Amino acid sequence: MMNTRYLGVGLTVAVWAGLMAVPLFADEWSVSQLGQYVTYGILAMSLSFIWGQVGILCFGQAIFFGLGGYLMGLTTLERFTWFGGSQTAGLLLATLGPALAAYILGKLLFVGRGLSGAFFAIVTLCAAFIVEISAQHIDFIGGFDGLLGVPPLMASWRAGDDMLSTNETFYVVLASALLIYLAVLFIQRSPLGVVLAAIRNNDERTASFGYRTTDYKVLAFTISGAMAGYAGALFTAQFGFVSPAVIGTALSTEVLIWVAVGGRAVLMAAFLGVVLVRSVESFLSSALGPYWLLTLGGFFVLTVVVMPEGIFGRLLRLPLPKAWRSARAGRATEPGQDPLGMRRTPDST
Amino acid sequence: MNFAIGLGLDTLSFSLSLLLVSLGLVIIFGLMNVINMAHGEFFLLGAYSVVAVQQLQLPYWAALIVAPIALALVGLVLEQLIIRHVYHRFIDTILATWGISIVLKQLIIIGFGPTSQSIVNPLPEPVHILGVVYPSFRLFIMGAALAVSIATFWVFYRSNLGLAIRGVIANRAMAASLGLNTRRMDRWTFAFGAALAGFAGAVMAPIMSVDPQMGGGFLIPAFLSIMVGGVSHLFGVVLGVGLIGSTSTVISSLDTQLAAQIAVFLLAIVIIRLWPEGLITRKR
Repeated sequence: MMNTRYLGVGLTVAVWAGLMAVPLFADEWSVSQLGQYVTYGILAMSLSFIWGQVGILCFGQAIFFGLGGYLMGLTTLERFTWFGGSQTAGLLLATLGPALAAYILGKLLFVGRGLSGAFFAIVTLCAAFIVEISAQHIDFIGGFDGLLGVPPLMASWRAGDDMLSTNETFYVVLASALLIYLAVLFIQRSPLGVVLAAIRNNDERTASFGYRTTDYKVLAFTISGAMAGYAGALFTAQFGFVSPAVIGTALSTEVLIWVAVGGRAVLMAAFLGVVLVRSVESFLSSALGPYWLLTLGGFFVLTVVVMPEGIFGRLLRLPLPKAWRSARAGRATEPGQDPLGMRRTPDST
Repeated sequence: MNFAIGLGLDTLSFSLSLLLVSLGLVIIFGLMNVINMAHGEFFLLGAYSVVAVQQLQLPYWAALIVAPIALALVGLVLEQLIIRHVYHRFIDTILATWGISIVLKQLIIIGFGPTSQSIVNPLPEPVHILGVVYPSFRLFIMGAALAVSIATFWVFYRSNLGLAIRGVIANRAMAASLGLNTRRMDRWTFAFGAALAGFAGAVMAPIMSVDPQMGGGFLIPAFLSIMVGGVSHLFGVVLGVGLIGSTSTVISSLDTQLAAQIAVFLLAIVIIRLWPEGLITRKR
C-alpha cells in the first residue's frame, strides 16, 4: 500500500521538477508556449478549487480571468492616469479586482436561500455571455479589438535591458503557479478545507453543524476569483493583448473541459489537464482542422460518463494529512469518490 | 399605435417560439432532472434540417415533419448512449450535455460549413392585420407554436400519458412500484423534448440567421425563462417566457440588442434572487 499512497506525491514532485527543467533543453518557442499553458494551468487550478473542493460548478471562470487581464492591461498601459503604470500595481489590482467581483457575485448568488448547483452554473454561464458582449461595446477597454500592445513582464531590479527573456518569463510564471499551488494545497489540507469539502458533500448537514456555509462558499469563490484574475494578468503580459474573447463563455467552457478531462478534484490533475489538452491541440488541430473540436468534445463526454475522476485524478491523488489518518485510514485511501478523504472530519473516529 | 401593434406581434411571435424551446427543456428537467445544455443545438439541428430539405429541392413544409422526427431519433440515440449513464450524477448531466452540444455544433460546421445559410421565405407576401403590414410567415410561426404548445399542455394535463409523466415527476419510486415503466418514459420524454426543439428550429429558420452559433442565442433566454417561471409547473414556463420574451423584444426595439440582453439578464437575476424557486411554485 505504501507504494500507491505515495505515488501521487512522487508524480507531483516529478511534474514540477520536469517543468522546471524544460528551459534547459527546449527551444524558445516551446518554452513560451509552455509558459502560456502554465498560465492557463493557474486558471484551471482556480476552477478545480471551487469545483472539486467546494462542489460549485462555475461556468464563468473566465470572467475573473478576463477581468484580471483587462485590469493588468489598463494599468500597465497607464489608462488609469491617477494610478501610475507599475507592473506590481497591475498584478495587485488584477488579483484584488476579480476577488472583489467574485465576492460580490458570490454574495449575490449564495446568500439567503441561494442557488443550487445547476442554477448557479447556468447563471454564471449567462453572466459570462453578458460580460463578453458588454466588453465588446465598451470603448474605454478597446471594444471589439481589446487592448493591444500591453508591455511584457519587466525586471525592475535590473538596469538597462529590463525586459525579461523568454526563459525568465517562464520561470516567473512557473514560480507563481507553484506558489499558488502550494497555497491552495495548504488551504485544502487545513481545517478550512475540511469545511469546504463538507459543504461539497452535504451543504445542509454542514450548516446544521453550525458552520455558516454561505460565508465559506463566498470566501472560497473569492479566493478562486483572485487566482483566476492573477492568471489573467500573467496571460495579458505574455500575449501583449487582451480581447473580449478571453472574458467570455468560450474560455470559460474551455477551462471546464481541461479540468474535467484532467481531474476536477485534484489540483495537479486539473493543471496537467490543461497542459495535456493544449499540447495535443497544438499537435493535432492543424492536422484535424474542424475534426479537432469534434474529437475533443467526444472525448470530454466520454471522460464525464466513464471517468468522472479525470485522466490524472487517481494517479496524482495525494495521501491524507497525517493527523487525519485514523484506524480506518486503510479505507480512506481506497479509490473512491472522495480523493481528499474529507467525508470524515478529523475527529470523527 | 401601429408601432405598438407591430411590437406586440413581434413579442408574441418571439415568446411563442421561445416557449417551444423552453417547454422541451422544462419537461426534460422536470421528469429526468437533467439540465440539457445541448437543447440549443437541438434547435440548431432543427434549423439545419430546413437547409437539408431545401438542398433536396423539397418544399419548406416538409421540414416541419422531418425536423421533429429526426430530432426525436437524435434524442433517443443520445439518451441511450450517454444521458442514461449520468442520471444519478446531477452536475455531470450538465457537463455531458455540454459536451454533446460541442459535438453537434461541430458536426454542423463540418457538414454545412461555418457560414450562415440562406433560407427562402415560404410565405413572402405580407398581410394587413389590425391596420399594420405584417410578414405573414411570422403569423404562421405564432399559429404553429401556439398549436404545438397547446397540444403539449393537453397531453401533459389531460391524457393518461400526461398523468403518468406527472406521477413520475411527483414521486419516481412510487410511480415505478405502481408499474410504470420509468425507463421507457425517460427515453421518450427526452426524445419528445428534442423533437419540440427541432420543430422550433425548423419553424424559426426562415426568419433567423441560420448559422452554427444560433443555438446559444435561444438557449440562454430559454434557461432564464424556466428559472424565472419555476420548473415545477408548466404554466411557470409560460409566465417566464412571457416576461423574458416581452422584455427582450421591447427593449431591443427601443434600444439595442445589447441593452435588451443585459436587461433580461438583470431582470432574471433579480427575480431568481427574490423567488429562488421561480414565480410559480407547487403548493405543498
